[in-house]
Amino acid sequence: MSLTSLDPRVTRLNLPEGEAPAIEPKPELDQFETYEVFHQKKEGAAYTYVGPVHAPNEEVAFLFAKEQYSRRAACTGMWIARTEHIQVTPYAGDGENVYDMVRAQDPTEQSEQPEPYEIFHLKKRGKAHTHAGRVMATSYQEALQEARNQYGDKGPIVNVWVVMSKHVLQSAEEDKDMWTTIPEKKYREAIAYKVMDKITKYKEEHKTTAS
Amino acid sequence: MYGGGNVFEATKFDDLQTEDPVKLAEFEARIARGEKIEPNDWMPQLYRKQLIRMIEQHAHSEIIGALPEGTWITRAPGFRRKMAQMAKVQDEVGHAQLLYSAAETLGKTREQMLTDLINGKSKYSNVFNYPAFTWADSNIISWLIDAGAIVNQMANAKGSYGPYSRALERICAEEAFHLKYGHDAVVHMATGTPKQREMIQAALNRWWPPIMTFFGPSDKMSTHTETLMRWKVKMASNDECRQQFLDMYVPKIWELGLTVPDPNLKKNMETGQWEYTEPDWDEFKRVINGDGPCNAERLAVRRTAEERGAWVRRALLNPKAKYVRPLA
Amino acid sequence: MNELAIKDLLYKLADDQLILGHRNSEWTGFGPILEEDIAFSSMAQDKIGHSLAFYTLLQELGEAEPDTVAFTRNANQFHNSQLVELPNGEYDFSLIRHFLYDNAEIIRFEMLSQSSYEPIAKVATKLKGEVKYHVLHANTWIKNLGASTEEAILRLQSALDEAIPYALGMFEPSKYEQELIESGVYAGEEAVKTAWLQRIKTVIEKTELKLPDLSTIEPRFGGRYGEHTEHLQPLLDEMAEVFKIDPTAEW
Repeated sequence: MSLTSLDPRVTRLNLPEGEAPAIEPKPELDQFETYEVFHQKKEGAAYTYVGPVHAPNEEVAFLFAKEQYSRRAACTGMWIARTEHIQVTPYAGDGENVYDMVRAQDPTEQSEQPEPYEIFHLKKRGKAHTHAGRVMATSYQEALQEARNQYGDKGPIVNVWVVMSKHVLQSAEEDKDMWTTIPEKKYREAIAYKVMDKITKYKEEHKTTAS
Repeated sequence: MYGGGNVFEATKFDDLQTEDPVKLAEFEARIARGEKIEPNDWMPQLYRKQLIRMIEQHAHSEIIGALPEGTWITRAPGFRRKMAQMAKVQDEVGHAQLLYSAAETLGKTREQMLTDLINGKSKYSNVFNYPAFTWADSNIISWLIDAGAIVNQMANAKGSYGPYSRALERICAEEAFHLKYGHDAVVHMATGTPKQREMIQAALNRWWPPIMTFFGPSDKMSTHTETLMRWKVKMASNDECRQQFLDMYVPKIWELGLTVPDPNLKKNMETGQWEYTEPDWDEFKRVINGDGPCNAERLAVRRTAEERGAWVRRALLNPKAKYVRPLA
Repeated sequence: MNELAIKDLLYKLADDQLILGHRNSEWTGFGPILEEDIAFSSMAQDKIGHSLAFYTLLQELGEAEPDTVAFTRNANQFHNSQLVELPNGEYDFSLIRHFLYDNAEIIRFEMLSQSSYEPIAKVATKLKGEVKYHVLHANTWIKNLGASTEEAILRLQSALDEAIPYALGMFEPSKYEQELIESGVYAGEEAVKTAWLQRIKTVIEKTELKLPDLSTIEPRFGGRYGEHTEHLQPLLDEMAEVFKIDPTAEW
């Protein structure tokens, strides 16, 4: 016997009826590793952190991020970086500057030639990290120092993320058309639903019949 | 969509004596200053534990909450409704994704949370154990359950945990559409043909009792609740949320000439409080513990989705991958 | 330009998208991982949106309004290919169908965006970017899964073998084929098919899947002329269940 549901889709799943034994705990990585996603709201704006996705690799992460983080708001570009690749400073308190707290550290790993790194700042706890700029360095530690020199005096910065540019998947210029119709999808905007007319009309009619 | 009922249970971590007093004082001072807590900060065990519980329940409520309205996804009448119903249910899945991620930053993996959901170890909002018999039921859920959820979520968005607040801000923005969409659909039914009106009134009658339990039983103020309120984990009492919901939505129901199936429902002008028949909390307990009309089906569907998708996940698993908690 | 020919073309485009969008929407809440659930739902919404755009063009040509056309016709009045009406099956079949369908769809949209019939050209140009994502989604999945575990490869191969006769059915020529080509509306089904084969071969070659020998396969024609499998009418009945409670009501 399979389960008959009010939902025809569920009925078609042919679920067995009755109690099922508990499942084994899901294995590690059943839901894959995580990638952090940044979006660009409009042309020229700095990329801002929107949240993570679980995905098996970068290209699938992009497919996922695009719909999870840009289906409901204007977007002109997206960056993806594997969580593991992002180095995070400690968090300062609101109003403080974390660059004043972190001391220069010896590099854990160093490249021969300087390479580009992307720097993201969090200006206030609870807000989102925003792209501050790109620096050239031979290690994460040096990149952080460079970031401090270049962008460290711009008001309170409570936290910094550093990631090598080669670890950031950036959406291609020619793929921008994937986002062009988003603002037109009004059916998923509150603004598309206007019922005051119907309510007013109903109330009017109701008044006349009641009096 | 989540109402916040029945979340905070006492745990053995209640005792703050074991926490480092200096760190605890700093932590509390930060929250008192109105700063958010971020994942790498020191935090008391009780804070971590209760937040995981709350955010996880919220996430489960979204993924299970996709099912009652999903019941009507293939039958929504007309293009406008068909596309919106799809988008609305999709959003609930999206909210689950955001919330599981926020909970992960506190140290519980999505794998553990999904396992606990399927095995009935963790709870989700009780209303989703009720069936959506007709299209009108789906409209009532879209409007009033989402309305209730927004009341709760707007309060929680002001809470102290950064990742949860960020997720909730996004969720509340998206739910503005759900609320308007639901209201629009209900208004069309209520002001439409006699058949439509009959359908929507019947659905409202069915859903009113679960809606009244959506925010959970009256809170018993304990030192425990006080602590959680001081830490801005719990932002409003269940009764405050319920009152706010009644204040905002009962007039909107009445203006459509619909009736609420509770003869005792009225606003006491002196106290400014709504009076109502006490919901059946015994039924609430029975249902939340597994004995509701749809509990078994909801979990069976989730389980099947996970099982039938397992080959896809197995195929793409990179054995060299390393799980790192999401950053924020 | 022959209006009947244009209408015939619009109906097959719109009906394909409506039925596939409907099928894909059945996955919402049941997907293999949350993120994919969301992506698949977006594409389903896009497809329904595309069908609405084409039904709207039909309305401008004097046909009934989109809701009436979509929710009140019977199966024998639908011009979709049989491929899109088949039940979802498991995710393997849904993915393969998505792959086979969208790689043809992108070619149609590219051709139609250059169409001599301006209303179609406008719609196709506007919506092309969405189809581009659908194709990227499909191809990425097929490349990844098609070169993964034996289990996944076997599943996809059997879904591919099952779907391919129906996929060939997408290219069933219409009775206005020559007119449409000559008047520059689009290059016709044979041209779409040739370009499609190129596209899917390029992806399949990167996997361990094998494209069946197409010369031995009988395409499942009929859909474009209202002949359908047993699956379409129940789908339509379900879709219209609420609408038909009172077709004059505003829902």
